[in-house]
Amino acid sequence: MARSQPHYRRSLGDLSERALAFWLLLPAALLLGFIALYPVLRLLYTSLFALQLTVSPDSSFLGFANYGQALHDARFWNAVKNTLLIVIVTVPGALVVGLLLAMLANLPFRVKWPVRLGLLLPWALPLVFVGLIFRWFFDSQYGVVNDVLVRLGGERLLWVTNPALAFWAICFTLIWKTSSFVALILLAGLQTIPKELYEAAKVDGASRWQEFWRITLPLLTPAILVAMIFRTIAAFQTFDVPYAMTGGGPGNATETLAMYVRATSIENLNFGYGSALAVLMFLISMAVTLVYLRYVRGADE
Amino acid sequence: MKKLWLALAALMVLSTAVAQQTRLRVFVGGQQRPDVMRKIFDIYQSRNPSVRVDIETGGATSDQQQQYLTTVLASRDPSIDVLLIDVIRPAQYQASRWADTLDKYLPGVTRENLLKQYLPAYAKADVVNGQLVALPAFADAQFLYYRKDLLEKYGFKPPTTWDEAIKQAQTILAGEKNPNLNGIGFMGNISEGTVCSFLLPIWAAGGDVTDANNRLILTEAQAKDSLQFWLDLMDKYKVSPNNMAEKAQDTIRQEMQAGRWIFGTLFAYAWNRFQNDADSQVKGKIGVVPLPKFEGGRSASCLGGWQWTISDFSRNKAQAYKLVRFLSSPEVSKILAIDASNLPVFPSLYKDPDVLKANPWFADALPVVQAARARPVHPRYTEIADVMRKGLNAVLARTKTPEAAAKEIISGLQAIYK
Repeated sequence: MARSQPHYRRSLGDLSERALAFWLLLPAALLLGFIALYPVLRLLYTSLFALQLTVSPDSSFLGFANYGQALHDARFWNAVKNTLLIVIVTVPGALVVGLLLAMLANLPFRVKWPVRLGLLLPWALPLVFVGLIFRWFFDSQYGVVNDVLVRLGGERLLWVTNPALAFWAICFTLIWKTSSFVALILLAGLQTIPKELYEAAKVDGASRWQEFWRITLPLLTPAILVAMIFRTIAAFQTFDVPYAMTGGGPGNATETLAMYVRATSIENLNFGYGSALAVLMFLISMAVTLVYLRYVRGADE
Repeated sequence: MKKLWLALAALMVLSTAVAQQTRLRVFVGGQQRPDVMRKIFDIYQSRNPSVRVDIETGGATSDQQQQYLTTVLASRDPSIDVLLIDVIRPAQYQASRWADTLDKYLPGVTRENLLKQYLPAYAKADVVNGQLVALPAFADAQFLYYRKDLLEKYGFKPPTTWDEAIKQAQTILAGEKNPNLNGIGFMGNISEGTVCSFLLPIWAAGGDVTDANNRLILTEAQAKDSLQFWLDLMDKYKVSPNNMAEKAQDTIRQEMQAGRWIFGTLFAYAWNRFQNDADSQVKGKIGVVPLPKFEGGRSASCLGGWQWTISDFSRNKAQAYKLVRFLSSPEVSKILAIDASNLPVFPSLYKDPDVLKANPWFADALPVVQAARARPVHPRYTEIADVMRKGLNAVLARTKTPEAAAKEIISGLQAIYK
């Protein structure tokens, strides 16, 4: 005992760098373990069981049968298709609009706040509010969109109950909502580009167009990648806007994966199958993230 | 000093009294008049000093309440003792073992004697697999609301068949020439209420989803006829606008309140909004009758209503049962009828002078409620509802033909009822 005392005191007072790192990282690791790792593992576990509360509160082991069922489930593939289409349209859409907004905000205005406020506002609104607001904009009878169409001599369109129109209405809303997030990241990127480069380009007689393609875009690539990764992951989880605007309708025409997961687990209380669907959704966004990360690493080298 | 001791002693007596008190927590939805419920709980507390009833409110719609209760009950949380649930849910509560069976607490009364006092539809909805799962709180049903003033102007009597309703609507629309006036309003959006729209024409033609043994008997032809009927109101008879796939129940209610509908199929809550809301354009101009039937069919309404049940995770089930018996008594049904305009679950209260003084139209409501039919009683009701509401919604949005949607509905139902 007498000998262990000084040893103990020494280890507390004079931690090696490794030990210090361990203790400093422990709280964050525990927190992550509880709020990220545990639920994901639990999800994987539940997905291997038949657990549907509307049938019985008891679960029975199924193996991978839930996954097999998903692969033959037309509603699952329909949701995958809708989700992918939303990703394909809204990520590049938000990128283009966001880039324009960022360049606008980067112009040397004398009063900067109106543009910056306009940038921040859509980003600050909760998604479901945006969905509800645009649901009214696109209402066939009372909506402002149809009002403008009629005044211009057009016809009233059934925006939220025609599958094709509903899809574009949802994409428009998502782009409006998310391009400000992209613009914020790109604006930060734009401001790190040294002014000297543009001055040098001017001296060399480059046009604005050449400046954009030769200086702005290449130097902005890291920021664009970051914005695209965040946007893509979020787009795979699209839920609030279509949920508030169409409820997945008409029929299941605009249902996304996240909405199907929710309907299966929360409405139908089928937690086993719902978990399997959620795991598949997780795998899809993991795969896309890995592709991006590889690309980023490739670009770095 | 003496005073201090006395005060301390008093405090101790008081605290032991509090400790002996049973505390019951009751969940009530936000739209179910928690203020009136509180009044009812206060009456119970004054008669049972050893019990304290706390109220927990949440969710304005049946779906929102269910979402919250799913979180509570799936995690076996014992904090809620008694729940007020939608008539479509007892079967699921029984299958999930969220609700305790009430049979074991029935001393001295047989189940039959207890249940025969209520409207018969509720006795059916609350007994699942031979177990009494819940007791009725208040009734609800769909009615045909109509514009008295407009029908009188054109010399019409309230319709008893759908053909009459369509003809009346066409005549009035042609005569009024008001672009803001529409004919027949019904739920067509993707919400759960659209299930009732799908079922009404099937019932009105004499059909049903299941037989007495809860086996699926609905045919593709019946389903197709129902879908075609609602589609025809828009496209063939032009008595409903072409955006019915957007219309939720409360949208119809608001528009009818603004004078934009001749007929509306709505649940009972609409009546008070029409009569009492400050912005109502139709005060005193609305009449209410049973839903029309088809020639040779029957008049049928969609049964709603709310039920009291006991959480299986409650730690005070015996006390909770006593409270539930009080809450499902004629006395409480009468208070709910007078103070909250909820339809009573006891047939006799529809003739009660106090109730009729507060709600004169209840006199006409009894036959409707008595003829009301329940949506399918099944633990997987939400999946059944999903199939039906999405089928009708897709037809109204014209993304599926009635034939294709009927086929999908029947195969979807077969997978659930297999």
